[in-house]
Amino acid sequence: MSWHRMIAVVRKEMLHIVRDPRNLFLVTISPAFLLFLLSYIFSFEVEHLELAVLDLDRTPLSRQYLATLTSDQDLVVVAHLDRYDQILPLLRRGEAEAALVIPPGFAAKLQGGQPAPVQAIIDGTDPLAGRQVSASLTARSQVFAAARSRPSGLKRTELIEVSTQVWYNAGLESLFSMVPGLMAIVLLMPTMAFALALAREKETSTLENLFVSPVSGLEYFTGKFLAYAVTGLVSAVLAWLVAVLWFRVPFRGNLILYLGLVGLYFLACMGVTIVIASFVKSQQTALFTVLLIFLVPSFFLAGLITPVSTSSWSAYLISSALPSTHFVDISRSIFLKGLGLTHMLRPALVLLGMGVGAVGLGLLLFKKRIA
Amino acid sequence: MSLTWIGRVAEGLLRIGTLIAKELIQLRRDRVLLTFILLVPALQLILMARAIERGVSEQPLAVLDLDHSQASRELITRLDNAEEVELRYYVRREEELRRLLDQGQARLAIVIPADFSSRLKSVSPPPRIRVLVDGTNILAGSVMISTVSGVVSRISSDLAAGYGLITPEWIDFRTDVRFNPAMDFRDFSIPAQLGFILYQVTLAVASLGLARERELGTLEALIVTPLNRLELALGKGIPAVAVGGLNFWGMWAVGRAIFQVPMNGSLLLLAVFTLPFILVVVGWGLTISALSRTQQQAILLVFILAMMEITFSGFLVPVRNMPTLLQFVSRFSPLQHYLVITRSLMLKGAGWMELWPQVLTLVGLAVLTWSLAWHNIARRLE
Repeated sequence: MSWHRMIAVVRKEMLHIVRDPRNLFLVTISPAFLLFLLSYIFSFEVEHLELAVLDLDRTPLSRQYLATLTSDQDLVVVAHLDRYDQILPLLRRGEAEAALVIPPGFAAKLQGGQPAPVQAIIDGTDPLAGRQVSASLTARSQVFAAARSRPSGLKRTELIEVSTQVWYNAGLESLFSMVPGLMAIVLLMPTMAFALALAREKETSTLENLFVSPVSGLEYFTGKFLAYAVTGLVSAVLAWLVAVLWFRVPFRGNLILYLGLVGLYFLACMGVTIVIASFVKSQQTALFTVLLIFLVPSFFLAGLITPVSTSSWSAYLISSALPSTHFVDISRSIFLKGLGLTHMLRPALVLLGMGVGAVGLGLLLFKKRIA
Repeated sequence: MSLTWIGRVAEGLLRIGTLIAKELIQLRRDRVLLTFILLVPALQLILMARAIERGVSEQPLAVLDLDHSQASRELITRLDNAEEVELRYYVRREEELRRLLDQGQARLAIVIPADFSSRLKSVSPPPRIRVLVDGTNILAGSVMISTVSGVVSRISSDLAAGYGLITPEWIDFRTDVRFNPAMDFRDFSIPAQLGFILYQVTLAVASLGLARERELGTLEALIVTPLNRLELALGKGIPAVAVGGLNFWGMWAVGRAIFQVPMNGSLLLLAVFTLPFILVVVGWGLTISALSRTQQQAILLVFILAMMEITFSGFLVPVRNMPTLLQFVSRFSPLQHYLVITRSLMLKGAGWMELWPQVLTLVGLAVLTWSLAWHNIARRLE
């Protein structure tokens, strides 16, 4: 491997990137731009759940019970119903998450010391919302009942005091959690550009020119990788600036360490791309592979929104095979936990292993193709 | 007069047919692309459905129990029994909790004080347990907080009643879950993923057609043929619609056969309502195709559009939690309307009566995007 020839490849690639404004946008600015866009959409307020009520008791006590249920902002009564058969059509139209039925005799039973039945009909379509509405209705009902219970010598309302501390993200700010996680998504853009560049070279048959030059496969890929990784690092700094200056996400770790790990993330992603590229004939196919292999799974399997599943081994295996899973973890740990290199060694080695392994495989496939 | 008119339409149809045949031959030649278009969507559906079927579950819990009483053990057992958390570490010192949370080996930690059970039984101030939550994943964090508070509120009234500290007055709270009785995360996410994957593949196929011809210089050859703009748009659009349709049936079959996603509504209605959705997407794709000079440009636009769709569709973030302006923008997202259609039809058994607003919006959007596509193709060709 000659440094001289490799530098020549780097230079050629840089020229390609800088010359084409669209390519330049894709490699340098698009991550920051996407981070800006995506984070804005994810910076939503606390969810509120919509409730329809059928109060057949109509007593001061039942109204008091309803007031307890909706004392916080997260449960909102959107409809007062008169008949039971109004419930299902309402839920089917999606106008409420749940309907609460207070049967006649609620107050009488409660005051008479008997259990007072209440029914909640929940739309289970969205399990997260469904569980949330079910949990908060149950908890509030207990609070209501406990407040009315006759204490025998007990003066306090709370039986166990729970003091909850949220670490690393004290206010449970969704931006602070999402922005570092989304870095893993937006930093796929340089990989995207890399994949397209490899495919374009094949599609427009300029790769043949390279074959007859003295540049070896290793020099070719290293040069190309370096060009895209270096411009990619520029894009990472820009995205980092958006995260820290615009969204004011705390950055508690070391920036040099962070950028080093971004480099490893690029190595893993681009390495896999080299392997894929040896099977791909056109830019169109390259787009499909990057979309379907990297982008979509990264949204859902990398622990960005729901944590990585450990309940099924096949799912766990796929998540672990995705470079983004490790980078979401790295990014959140450095941004929010401020962890140093010693804690980051494991994910860093995983990314390095993936990258080196994939590049090795890619080179083998490349040599086979030339021969 | 009328005969020549019929003749002209027949000729036009023949030309469209020829163009479609050419597209299909091209598609068949690129084996990798063909595999991707036809198989990967279904495969992806399988993998993603397996991975996120449980939502937030089995989050690792670390416990520091300084009390070692029956009450504290009862609390720990009940926490462990909750689906959302799983007891993994039983530590002796508080520093260990910090280490476990730092390394992400535990996401939740509970400290039970030494006077937990003695204070619980007495009239003195209540015992105080400390809960440490890893807030790096916002969803997991809030789910764990509500799980702990649910478990604690249940156990505290049970224990207090058991010690004779209160005379309970209960509400017998019964829940009845409709449409997805097991609250299966998979049944919720599969109809949505079906729509999303369909969107992606169809858009990518439709958007690259013309851009590819232009980049490879074959567009000129097409222009000098007798094809007019409408025929060109249809000839490019119909294969994309066909690919979308095939994908839809493939993924639907996977969802039903492998994951037993319920189909409470009419399959015929679902297929009928899917058509305007695919048409909207193909219309967007053709517009992108006409607007971009190179495939790369088209790809960039597809990418940005796909990102916007993910966020605006209500797939991840419920639409009503978005700011008002974004809610308005999101009305133009075909995926948003289509997700309502798939979920309502498959899970809630809804029909035309509930879904007409979504279907009509999609038809309107289809007209809009196809007019845009036609207009831009016409402009490009001049």
